Amino acid sequence: MTITETTHSNIHLVALKGALDASTAATLAKNSVLSGNLPTVIDLSGVDFLDSSGLGALVGIARKKRAANSDTLLACLNTNVRKVFEITHAYRLFDIYDDPYTAAEELSKKISAL
Amino acid sequence: MTFHIDTSTGSNIGIAVLQGRLDVTNSAALLNAFPEWLQQTTSIIFDCSGLNFLDSSGLGAFVRCLRQTLDQNGDLRLAALASNVAMIFELTKAKQLFSIYPNLQDAIDSFSS
Amino acid sequence: MKTLIVIKEQNHAWVRNAFPGIHPLLLTLCNKPYIEYLIDFAILSRSEEIRIMSDGSLGEVEAYCMNGSRWGVELTYSNIRTTDDITTILQKNSRFCRDNRTMVINGFVFVDYDKESQYDSIINTMPDGVIASAENEGCLILRGQEKNPDAAPAPSPPINLESIDSIESYYRISLDILKNKSSQFVLPGYGNEPECFIGRNVVISKSAEIEKPVSIGNNVQILSGTHIGPDAIVGSNVIIDKNSTVTESIVLDNTYIGEELDITGKTAFQNMLSDPGTQAVLSMEDPHLLRSTQNNGTLSALLRQITHAITALTIIILLMLPFLLIAPLLMVQGKWKKRLTDYHGAGDKKVISIATGTIPNQGVTGKLASIFSLNRYPLLFRVIKGDLSLIGNLPAAVSDNSSAPDQDNMTHYYRPAVFSYAEAENWPVIGSDAAIVERYYMVHSNPLKDIGMTMKALINLPHKNTPK
Repeated sequence: MTITETTHSNIHLVALKGALDASTAATLAKNSVLSGNLPTVIDLSGVDFLDSSGLGALVGIARKKRAANSDTLLACLNTNVRKVFEITHAYRLFDIYDDPYTAAEELSKKISAL
Repeated sequence: MTFHIDTSTGSNIGIAVLQGRLDVTNSAALLNAFPEWLQQTTSIIFDCSGLNFLDSSGLGAFVRCLRQTLDQNGDLRLAALASNVAMIFELTKAKQLFSIYPNLQDAIDSFSS
Repeated sequence: MKTLIVIKEQNHAWVRNAFPGIHPLLLTLCNKPYIEYLIDFAILSRSEEIRIMSDGSLGEVEAYCMNGSRWGVELTYSNIRTTDDITTILQKNSRFCRDNRTMVINGFVFVDYDKESQYDSIINTMPDGVIASAENEGCLILRGQEKNPDAAPAPSPPINLESIDSIESYYRISLDILKNKSSQFVLPGYGNEPECFIGRNVVISKSAEIEKPVSIGNNVQILSGTHIGPDAIVGSNVIIDKNSTVTESIVLDNTYIGEELDITGKTAFQNMLSDPGTQAVLSMEDPHLLRSTQNNGTLSALLRQITHAITALTIIILLMLPFLLIAPLLMVQGKWKKRLTDYHGAGDKKVISIATGTIPNQGVTGKLASIFSLNRYPLLFRVIKGDLSLIGNLPAAVSDNSSAPDQDNMTHYYRPAVFSYAEAENWPVIGSDAAIVERYYMVHSNPLKDIGMTMKALINLPHKNTPK
C-alpha cells in the first residue's frame, strides 16, 4: 500500500495504491494527513481491493475529520471497491467523485464560501 | 356480530352488522347464528360497513347463508362493502350471486321495490 | 454524447410498498424492465456511455444490466447523496461529462419516445437546459452545448415525460404501451401477430383463449379454460389456473392465479390484489386464490443453521464448567441482572423475546464471567432452537425505530444473533457503522467463516468490556 500526498486548489489530495485490507489498513492511521483534522480528498483509483478492515479505516478517518468539521471526499472508486461500498451501504456516508481534482476544487470552493 | 329487525319500511328486514375480520377462525360462528336469524325473517341484509377483511372461508359462509335464504324463498343482500372486501367478490365471481348496495339504506329500500 | 440517469430512492419509494421484493428500476412495464426503456432511449440519442446513479442500492440493477455490452453501450454505476442537486451530481461526474454533450434523465420517469424518431439530431440542435419535465422532480436536461448566440430558440421538444409515481400511473402507462404504443418500443416476446407478445417456455392449454393485445412473459403456464386478454399483461413465472379470466389487468412476475377467478381492471402481484381505480389493496391469505410461485428458504440457509447449531452446542459444552461454577455465585451476589426485551426476529418470526443480561465487570467472578462472555451463554440455547443465529446482526429492538432492519432488499439478510460481526471485528457496536460491517459479512460469509468469526468475537468481547 503506497500513499502519495499532493495538493490541489489548496486541498490535501491523498492517493492510495494497492490493496486496502486487514494488513494495510493500519498504515493509513499512521499517515499524518489522513489522521489529521484537515479536509481531504482520498483518491482510490489505485485501490484494487477493499475489505471490511479497509472500509473501517476509511470510515474511521472520515468520522475523525467530521468531528473536527472537516470533509472527506472520495474519488475514483473502481468496480470492486464500489461493490463493497454498495453492499455495505457505506456510500451513504461519503461524497464520491469520479475525478480527484474536481473533488478538490469543489471542497476548496466550499471552504472559501464559509 | 349483531342482529336486529328493522321495521321502518313496514316489513320485517333483518339486519346483521358484521365487524372486523371474517375468516377461517370465525366464519363458523356466522354459520351457527344464521339459521336463527332466518327463522325471524327471510329478508336479510348483511351490513358490512365495519368489515375490513374477508377470506374464502368468510365468503363461503356468505354463500351458504345465501343458499339457505333462497331455499326459504327469501333473499340475502349485502350493504356497504369496503373496497378491498368488494375485490374478493369481484375476484371470485361471487359478485354475480349477490345484490350489493353501497349503503344500508339503499339495501333496506331495495326490499320495498 | 453521454447520458446520466439519476434516480433517487424517494422518487420510487412507493414501489417498495406496492411490490415488495422488486427493485424499482427493474419493475417491468409490459414485460420490459423500466431501466431498459431508458437505456434504449439513450442509445437512440446516440449515447456511447450511460451512467446510472442513485442514492440507494443499485446492486440488482448492476447484476441485471452488467456493463451494458448486451446493448452495445458502456454502462457504469455510481452513488450520490440524497441531498445532491443536479449541479453537484454533474460535478461528481466531471470526468464523465468532460468535453461531451450530456443528457441527464432525472427521476422515476417514463420517457414516451418512438424508436423510429431520430433523437440524436433533435437533441444536438437543442440548447442546454431542461427540455422536458414531469411531476415529482422528473426532468430531461441537456448540458455541454457549445455556446451559439445566433441559434434561435428550439421548438418544443417532441419528448414526453411522465412520472411513475403510483400504482395507478404504473397501471395506466403499462396498458397504454400495450394498447397504443407497442410499435414505439422494442418489447420482449415472440409473435407472428402484432400486439401479441409471448415469451419463452410458455405453455398454453388447447382450451385456453388468448385475445390480443396481450403480453406474456417467460415460464408461464396457462391452464385449460382460461381467457387471457384483451389488454392483459402477464409477467414471468406465472401460473394461471383453470377457467380463470385476466382482462385489462397486469399480473406481475412470480404470481399464481387460482381457478375460476376473474381478474378485471386489477394488478396482481404474488398475494396482493390492487384496484388502480379505487386504490384498494387486498392482501390475500388464501393460497388457493392468489400466491407467490417462489419458495423461500434455501439449502445454504439450512446448512448455515445446522453449522451454527453444532458450533453453539460445542461452545455450550466447553463453557459449561465455567458457567455452572460462576453463574450461581453471580446470582447469589446479585450481579446477574436480566431483562426481557422484544426484538425483531428473522424471516417469518416477527418478534422474539430475549433475556439480555449484563454482568458488571468487577470482582473475580465478574471478570471471569466477562472473559467467557457468560452473559451470552443462555442465548446459545436459542441458536439450537432456531430463533437466533450464532453470529450475525445484533438484535434490533422492536421499541427502537432507529435500529429496525432496512426497508430495502437487505431485510432478508437480517439475522439476529448471539454475537454480531461488528463485535468480532472490533467495530463500534452502536450506530449505523456497525450495520456496515454486518452487511459486509452477510454477503461475504459462509458457515465455516462464521465459526472463525464467532471465536474472534469471544476473544474480542472481553477486551471491550475491560475498562481502559
